[in-house]
Amino acid sequence: MNVHTSATAPALPILTIDDLHIDFALHTGTVQAVRGISFELYKGETLALVGESGSGKSITAQSILQLLPEPVRYTQGSIQYQQQELIGASTTAIRKVRGDRIAMIFQEPMTSLNPLQSIEHQVAEVLIEHKGMTRRQAAARVLELFQLVEIPDPKRRLKAYPHELSGGQRQRVMIAMALACEPDILIADEPTTALDVTIQAQVMALLKGLQHKFGMAILFITHDLGVVHQFADRVCVMRKGQLVEQGITEAVFSQPQHPYTCELLDSEPSGNKPPVSQDAPVILDAKQVQVEFPIRAGFLGRVVNQFRAVDGISLTLRQGQTVGIVGESGSGKSTLGKALLKLLDGHGDIHFDGIQIDGLEPLAMRPLRRKMQVVFQDPFGSLSPRMTIGEIIAEGLKVHEPLMRPDQRDEAVCAALEEVAISPASRNRYPHEFSGGQRQRIAIARAMVLKPKFLLLDEPTSALDRSVQVRVIELLRELQDKHKLTYLFISHDLAVVRALSDHVMVMRTGEVVEQGPTEEIFNCPQQAYTRELIAAACPLGSSAERACNPA
Amino acid sequence: MRMAPGGPFDGERKLPPEIEANLLAAYNMDQPLYLQYFDYLAGLLVGDFGPSFKYKDFTVTELIWSGFPISFELGMWAMLIGIIFGIGFGCYAALRQNTPGDYLVMSTAMAGIAIPNFVMAPILTLVFGVMLGWLPAGGWNDGAWQNKVLPILALALPQVAYIARMTRGSMIEVMGAQFIRTARAKGISERKVVTRHALKSALLPVISYLGPATAGVITGSVVIEQIFGIPGIGRYFVQAALNRDYTLVMGTVVFYGGLIILFNLLVDLIYGWLDPQIRYE
Amino acid sequence: MSNATFAAQGDSLMKDALRRLFLNRATLVSTLLLSVMAISCFFGPLFFSIELDDVSWEFMGTPPGEGGHWFGTDTNGRDLLLRSLYGGQISLTVALIATLVSLVIGVSYGAISGYMGGRVDNLMMRFVDILYSMPFMFLVILMMVVFGRSILLIYIAIGAVEWLDMARIVRGQTLTLKRKEFVEAAHALGVSDRQIILRHIIPNALGPVIVYVTLTVPKVILLESFLSFLGLGVQEPMTSWGVLISEGTANMEGAPWQLFFPAAMLAITLFCLNFIGDGLRDALDPKSR
Repeated sequence: MNVHTSATAPALPILTIDDLHIDFALHTGTVQAVRGISFELYKGETLALVGESGSGKSITAQSILQLLPEPVRYTQGSIQYQQQELIGASTTAIRKVRGDRIAMIFQEPMTSLNPLQSIEHQVAEVLIEHKGMTRRQAAARVLELFQLVEIPDPKRRLKAYPHELSGGQRQRVMIAMALACEPDILIADEPTTALDVTIQAQVMALLKGLQHKFGMAILFITHDLGVVHQFADRVCVMRKGQLVEQGITEAVFSQPQHPYTCELLDSEPSGNKPPVSQDAPVILDAKQVQVEFPIRAGFLGRVVNQFRAVDGISLTLRQGQTVGIVGESGSGKSTLGKALLKLLDGHGDIHFDGIQIDGLEPLAMRPLRRKMQVVFQDPFGSLSPRMTIGEIIAEGLKVHEPLMRPDQRDEAVCAALEEVAISPASRNRYPHEFSGGQRQRIAIARAMVLKPKFLLLDEPTSALDRSVQVRVIELLRELQDKHKLTYLFISHDLAVVRALSDHVMVMRTGEVVEQGPTEEIFNCPQQAYTRELIAAACPLGSSAERACNPA
Repeated sequence: MRMAPGGPFDGERKLPPEIEANLLAAYNMDQPLYLQYFDYLAGLLVGDFGPSFKYKDFTVTELIWSGFPISFELGMWAMLIGIIFGIGFGCYAALRQNTPGDYLVMSTAMAGIAIPNFVMAPILTLVFGVMLGWLPAGGWNDGAWQNKVLPILALALPQVAYIARMTRGSMIEVMGAQFIRTARAKGISERKVVTRHALKSALLPVISYLGPATAGVITGSVVIEQIFGIPGIGRYFVQAALNRDYTLVMGTVVFYGGLIILFNLLVDLIYGWLDPQIRYE
Repeated sequence: MSNATFAAQGDSLMKDALRRLFLNRATLVSTLLLSVMAISCFFGPLFFSIELDDVSWEFMGTPPGEGGHWFGTDTNGRDLLLRSLYGGQISLTVALIATLVSLVIGVSYGAISGYMGGRVDNLMMRFVDILYSMPFMFLVILMMVVFGRSILLIYIAIGAVEWLDMARIVRGQTLTLKRKEFVEAAHALGVSDRQIILRHIIPNALGPVIVYVTLTVPKVILLESFLSFLGLGVQEPMTSWGVLISEGTANMEGAPWQLFFPAAMLAITLFCLNFIGDGLRDALDPKSR
């Protein structure tokens, strides 16, 4: 990989964080978000701050420019930019650093830009403030900057508003704004998390190129180890507000010293799934599936056009098989999944378990529903917030086995919860009392209690941290082996798809780009788009190559 | 509407039948209801609301135009005060959230909302008019400014309260938005963060409230004009409603309806001009 | 949310919200005060030996305290406390009935519009938009003029004009809930439409509706007293806070208590209702969690 060995440390670091402690005094008590972390940033290097949600990495990043909202307390430690203490510095002193010497870009480019101002105006503001430029001078410089960050057709886009740009373009505007004064340090707080993988790769490449050009240091905050491996010179691993390990990226990745780092590295999904035999019974057989959405316009919402979300896709699933569908947002992968289960209206022949289900009335469809179940992405939105988890899991049983006695039903609910490793004693609790991973287990239990043959998994691990993700994947594998389940696995995350499925289908704008056995697709992709996707996903390599010897 | 029992000419005395017939004929009331209705609609198209039943020498149009400038002047001042002070107090409270200043502004605003203007108006009169004697307690006096102060104040106070609460709420929300963090990260002063970035976004909900606010001021003017004895449309309207003067009631409702629709249209235009996301939709 | 302290019984969102609600001292005090107000308005008159329109000739327009009239008497020598309590009955009943009317119309209109979606939704919401730009107070007055003044009509007329916001809120809720994954999951389980609406949509739409109801109540009370103040509301011998305030305004120079007591009762009620509404909104707002 392209590690910059040129960035050998000069004598003085340009940013020094020493024994930093950050508390939040909430009325429920004091939360210690950061507990004694120290690191240095040198000119021209890329330092990655890695950790899972709640590790305090974003809070550390925001503390540098003193951007944390009240009720923040810096109880101990120091943040020095070129020997200048930033904690407790006067607002004028801080303002001279912000945007000029240290700039920052954020995760959500849509909400991080002012929706009511043109992008030119927003970038020009920095120049006028720090460089004392006139409006006209600033405008000329903004155009240069837009060319620099490769915004297509920059002249025409100057007057555009954020909502008129795509996600990638918005992040480029943010980068242009950050680079306007050629800062010494760029803090990038999860700059690519909200973007599709291919766009993500482009933005990272752009950042890297600009770093070469301007020689600035980048402090890169992320949860994505793949990106770190590819782009960072040094890495700091954070956990629960503390720094557990830091070092040269290659060294940390090949010889991690701390058990948590090992755990993180091993949480990269691994393993693969052997294909099923060709004469296993067919569970789902779909031919030429098409889904169209009407585009409405005008005063009364007349249908003016049809948008084809899924355009003639055929697929066959055999018992015990896992078919993975990959694609970026807008590729129609979720729509396809829902159409196959008749949760959406579509056209095309669909046979489930030997029965033709297209054109089936909802009432006739109901008995089949228990054999085909769904697990959704959002662990917050997929459980009804006003029902206990016991009620949520029992709901399907009430529909399909109305004659079941309450105690039998309760027994079934407990069994289902045990199967997903959630204590049955907690069945009278409500969804908001569980963590994201636990909720996803509950959603799986809701599906499994009906003993289905087929599960549609719609991005079931995308909202979870890697370490939690791995455990959910393990659970899904166990369940598949135990119950001979058939999975249709929808995801944008290639690593997870590779680990779980034996057959992969790559989708783009409603059509199949390429499909085949998983290893074939990943090892020798035939289509340019597939290659681009796989390259952008930058996998870490298997843990076998790593000598894990924690101190 | 004329199916209701009782009529405008049911006075204290019973009129001789032939006089009543004459009167009814003069107002076209001897014709079938549907003809009356179409006559009325045709009149509306050319701005003719028909004659008033009670003010016998005036047409409804004349009455409305005689009262309108007065009501309009009071209403405009009230709106202006409501907007300026409402936004000012709202911003002040939002930027000093959870300080004594914030609590003071917000509890006063709550009082402004909870105390209806027909209570507020007599209190103002009692204090400034009767007890302190600074301003006249009522009357119009051909529009002397002293006579306008109290009615305008009584009309404006609830609007100040509403707008202040709304501004505070949306300002607090906007100040927590991510693009405000971006603005701060640029290194511009807090004052510029507020005036250049937060204010415009925070005022959008206030702008869309201006339509309902207009309706509120117009409604308020009905009772305020009554209390202070001001010869505006509101007062005619109440008299007409009490006297069952159909054409005047109907005419005023149609007139106000048109006015409010006009204002809503204006507000929509301003909103579209301020918010590019609407403009390009 | 720590796993170690899992009790067997969970905390529902509702319980959680209620606890937060009563942590808010202004809301707690308002609720108590409003209860006292309601109880005294409805049951207080039972303890009086006199009737609503009983005139005591020796005490005409006497100040508070004299002759056992705690709030004094009006110019006709009628007990002001008793009249204020009866007035409160009218106001609170109006609040209850008119809010109920608006609730029924608004919830069913909004839910139908949201659940049907598409063109039906579009048409139904355009209609609401058009009604929105109407001057409501005037429509109510027009209705009073046309149909004559009956107390029942006031209830219905006010309710009939206050349902628009409710319809919008319920529609918005239905639209977002319809797209939620738990509703889709219920579809996938084979749960019927009726059960989905009953078990998943309505309970989750309830929060904002409750908040809005508490904010409608003071609006309705204000509307009724406004009409009564103008002389377009309830008729003698019945009375209401609006009528009393109107009478008080006429005599405020000589007998300020006639204005003070009914105005204070009205203002306190409106204060309490607004505080409760605010408190509920804060307690149920998912963002505050």
